[in-house]
Amino acid sequence: MFAASFEYHRAASIKEALGMLAQFGDDARLLSGGHSLIPILKMRLAQPAHLVDITRIGELGQVAETGGRVAIGAAVRHYQVESNPIVRGKIGLLAECAAHIGDVQVRNRGTIGGSLAHSDPAADFPAAVLALEGELKLEGAAGARTVKASDFFVDLMTTAIKPGEILTQVSFAPLPAGAGYAYFKHPQPASGFAIVGVAAWLTLDAKGAAQNVHVGVTGLGAKAFRASAVEKALTGKAPDAKSIADAASHAAEGIDALADIHAGSDFRAELARVYTRRALENAAARAKR
Amino acid sequence: MKLAGEQILPASRERVWALFNDPNRLSRLIPGCEKLDVISPTEYAGTLNVGIAAIKGVYTGKLKLEEVRPTEHYRMIVDGKGKQGFMRGSGTLDLAERDRNHTAVVFAGDIQIGGPLVQVGQRMIDSAAKMMLGQFFAAAEAELKAEAVGKVARQGFFLNFWRYLRTVIKSRLARKS
Repeated sequence: MFAASFEYHRAASIKEALGMLAQFGDDARLLSGGHSLIPILKMRLAQPAHLVDITRIGELGQVAETGGRVAIGAAVRHYQVESNPIVRGKIGLLAECAAHIGDVQVRNRGTIGGSLAHSDPAADFPAAVLALEGELKLEGAAGARTVKASDFFVDLMTTAIKPGEILTQVSFAPLPAGAGYAYFKHPQPASGFAIVGVAAWLTLDAKGAAQNVHVGVTGLGAKAFRASAVEKALTGKAPDAKSIADAASHAAEGIDALADIHAGSDFRAELARVYTRRALENAAARAKR
Repeated sequence: MKLAGEQILPASRERVWALFNDPNRLSRLIPGCEKLDVISPTEYAGTLNVGIAAIKGVYTGKLKLEEVRPTEHYRMIVDGKGKQGFMRGSGTLDLAERDRNHTAVVFAGDIQIGGPLVQVGQRMIDSAAKMMLGQFFAAAEAELKAEAVGKVARQGFFLNFWRYLRTVIKSRLARKS
């Protein structure tokens, strides 16, 4: 199908975009990369009367290092996250995650802000953003506020963004020296969406025990989550095959697994455990004392 | 899809029953409900404009009540459709007294959902249904609390959304600590 009629508006600044959102209210949707929104429009699952394009706003397309943190604008494309030297050098887990999104065409258009704001349960970025403890900047008419990644993903396709607010930036502290990281996913063969995706990073202390274990899981439940039971189980232990397998066995604990024709809930839970194990094994192998 | 659960509402069985059988008050609790007309004492017709995030749609349908035992139990049969899909199903609602001011609402149902929405969003239907039930009960609780002090609760799509989100956030915080 093709989309129902809409009016296209191009915002030249964040202020202008906020003004348009205020003016059109519930009838407007923000357009960033469009690779979550346009398919929804084409299937007529949503019929907004107005689209506000924010990809021409210069500051939303920047990657910069400011105040010791890596700040990525919301309209930065996936391929930029994948290839940018600052991202690869300081928060390499995010670049590795970006490299697994969809396909080349999707990565050329899709944006990190759009992916996070849409919060599809099978999106890849939420797992890495949670594991890296990113902070998200939301701007509204009343000003800007910062939300931690752990508070940002609230429920199924529901984030902490309030009506009339725009996600403008996500920022991260650089990974500590010697950290090892990995992103592993089980892709849906046609769309490339993560049936389950696991982003993990850890450091090794002087004795070779795992510390700072961070594991973000997507695709399993209604929203991406930190597998804290896995993290606790591995912290302070030498990461060998057995300790990792034991820790990974907790990956699906407490989560209501989704089910569809590609994977039932039991299979999804098992995939979560397997891919958590793989991600941790690779992260541990890449970590340096 | 099977739907079952239990929620405690802060009111006596009589007040909860009265709330659930008053179409004017009930329509303000149902997420996205724009209209709820009474066709007969056991049949309603309604319009819902509802969805999650970008995916919203208008659905029209009928609700029939059977096996009505006042303040205790009824069975609902629902039949609705919209551009994005259709929904058909039936379920039972039982009210059990927990104490003078608390009633347990026990619901159990079986629903068939189809159409474009399910074709692309099958994996999300369960979670979406849970969210909407959560919003409904958050609204019901607010309404009963307000009624107890002689007020009428402000209802509205986003307000109940945020009420429901507050309960989600509260339970997550409780789990963390």
